[in-house]
Amino acid sequence: MVPDDSAPAAIAAAAVPNPAATEALAADPPPITPVPAQARAPAPPIDPRTQLRLRGETDHLVLLMPNGSEAEAGALAWGELLQQFKQRLNGGERCWQPHTVVHLAARDRLLDARQLQSLEELLSAAQLTLKRVITSRRQTAIAAVTAGYSVDQLAAEDTLVQSPPPPGQPLAEPLYLQTTVRSGTEIRHPGTIIVLGDANPGSSLVSEGDILVWGRLRGTAHAGSGGDRSRCIMALQMHPTQLRLADLVARAPDGPTSQYLPEVAYVGDNAIRIAQAQAFARQNFDATLGQGAQLTDAFKV
Amino acid sequence: MTRIIVMTSGKGGVGKSTCTANLGMALAQRNQRVAVVDADFGLRNLDLLLGLENRIVYTALDVLAGDCSVEKALVKDKRQPTLGLLAAAQNRNKEAITPEQMKELVAGLAPSHDFILIDCPAGIEMGFQNAIAPAKEAIVVTTPEISAVRDADRVIGLLEANDVKFTKLLINRIKPKMVQEDQMMSVRDVLDILAVPLLGVVPDDERVIVASNRGEPLVLDKQLSLAGVAFNNIARRLVGEEVPLIDLNATHDDLFSRLRRFFRG
Ligand SMILES: Nc1ncnc2c1ncn2[C@@H]1O[C@H](COP(=O)(O)OP(=O)(O)OP(=O)(O)O)[C@@H](O)[C@H]1O
Ligand SMILES: [Mg+2]
Repeated sequence: MVPDDSAPAAIAAAAVPNPAATEALAADPPPITPVPAQARAPAPPIDPRTQLRLRGETDHLVLLMPNGSEAEAGALAWGELLQQFKQRLNGGERCWQPHTVVHLAARDRLLDARQLQSLEELLSAAQLTLKRVITSRRQTAIAAVTAGYSVDQLAAEDTLVQSPPPPGQPLAEPLYLQTTVRSGTEIRHPGTIIVLGDANPGSSLVSEGDILVWGRLRGTAHAGSGGDRSRCIMALQMHPTQLRLADLVARAPDGPTSQYLPEVAYVGDNAIRIAQAQAFARQNFDATLGQGAQLTDAFKV
Repeated sequence: MTRIIVMTSGKGGVGKSTCTANLGMALAQRNQRVAVVDADFGLRNLDLLLGLENRIVYTALDVLAGDCSVEKALVKDKRQPTLGLLAAAQNRNKEAITPEQMKELVAGLAPSHDFILIDCPAGIEMGFQNAIAPAKEAIVVTTPEISAVRDADRVIGLLEANDVKFTKLLINRIKPKMVQEDQMMSVRDVLDILAVPLLGVVPDDERVIVASNRGEPLVLDKQLSLAGVAFNNIARRLVGEEVPLIDLNATHDDLFSRLRRFFRG
């Protein structure tokens, strides 16, 4: 049974005490239902660098190909890669002026003329112009030259170094999408993800940074996928299928919720907790005050 | 300009073919020149629903093989001569045809028709890719069930990614009584997730099954059933009329008495 609007499906509600009880705000809300260890898949580490993405440089964009390991995984994988990239482009990943030049960082991926052409078509539909191809593969370089692009051929070692993301590397710039993330769509990004719209059931967001959904979060969200537990997931309406923060997994409690208030999921005491956004902000503020003793003293009468 | 519309759903058995047959017929009744194209190669049944099975001479594959023109392959409906069916081949599978070929077939039909309705097979594989390739618009058919809605959502995403703009939603097999008792998703619930414009709602109606078995789409009935009225209204919306939704949430008695009043004038 699906409840109608007057009794919307619930999730985090159980975790959050009545907002009237101001005292409760100081303490962490109880953790939401953790997924029992045995029911939990051995949580394979998800590498958010497995999708095509754009990075801004001063006067052009760089289109980053994912690393080569699964590069030769066949035509199906290529089709999916393009599809995901297209969903991003359509999702208003429009942080550029029309006719911006794109350099393709193909790394050690083997690309033929047809694949280069399909990329060019996607880009030009989004008013971007593919000009240069950077690759460490001879065949790719030849295909690119034949198709009329400028080509930088790198030595193979250069790209190998990049393969596992080195620790301490800064996060990618945030990914800003204005779209409904629909069932079957997976957005992976090695930085913060901001969605202006709903993330529907069956969708999945994986971010090395934070996740902010300015809408309803009803799919699966994984923030801090690189292992950073200080990350959080924010949503105007928090009704996720499953939440993940770093290595922790929690599923939504059953039962009806009563609220439509923005909420934040974060890690407190080794468990995922959900607080109303206001309470969460206040907690952080209190923590800051606690550190700045002078400020606190100044307020004491 | 010819409206090229794919009827699709993701999940199987939600009523794509039923809706294609009824909307095709209802549009033809409004003097539109309509071609319905069965893109369900290997599992065709649009011909059955329209009662045209025994009149098929050529299929889409014969057209592609150059054995006949696309106009000649079109089976004309005797009841509504402005309705034609392009049948799928029964003895071949979905890989028998490519998206390019599908575009070619539809391009051949476009100049002589106002509407082309493409009946898409279930799933999101090759058959789906073929069916959506020539389409400019889509009608996503779903029933008010979580699994159907989830698949519809996926399909809407795929349509967006494949540049089929103008997706509209048709909710089929609503049972007003169950909705009232909170045992079925309401139209609101479905729209809440899918967030695309609503084209219409068709109630669950046993006469749909009877009509299918007879090969006579409901909209041909002299005494229209509620589902028949719903299909007619959808056809009217497709040609640009503004028709309010039938109030399916009224109690059953109300509904039928209101309909009776409607037909007695
Ligand atoms: N509004 C309705 N009321 C009652 N029965 C219906 C209704 N719509 C469809 N049906 C029944 O549901 C069944 C499936 O319908 P149909 O064949 O049109 O679905 P489909 O989506 O084309 O299926 P497939 O995915 O196999 O092509 C049929 O038996 C049909 O009579
Ligand atoms: Mg069918």
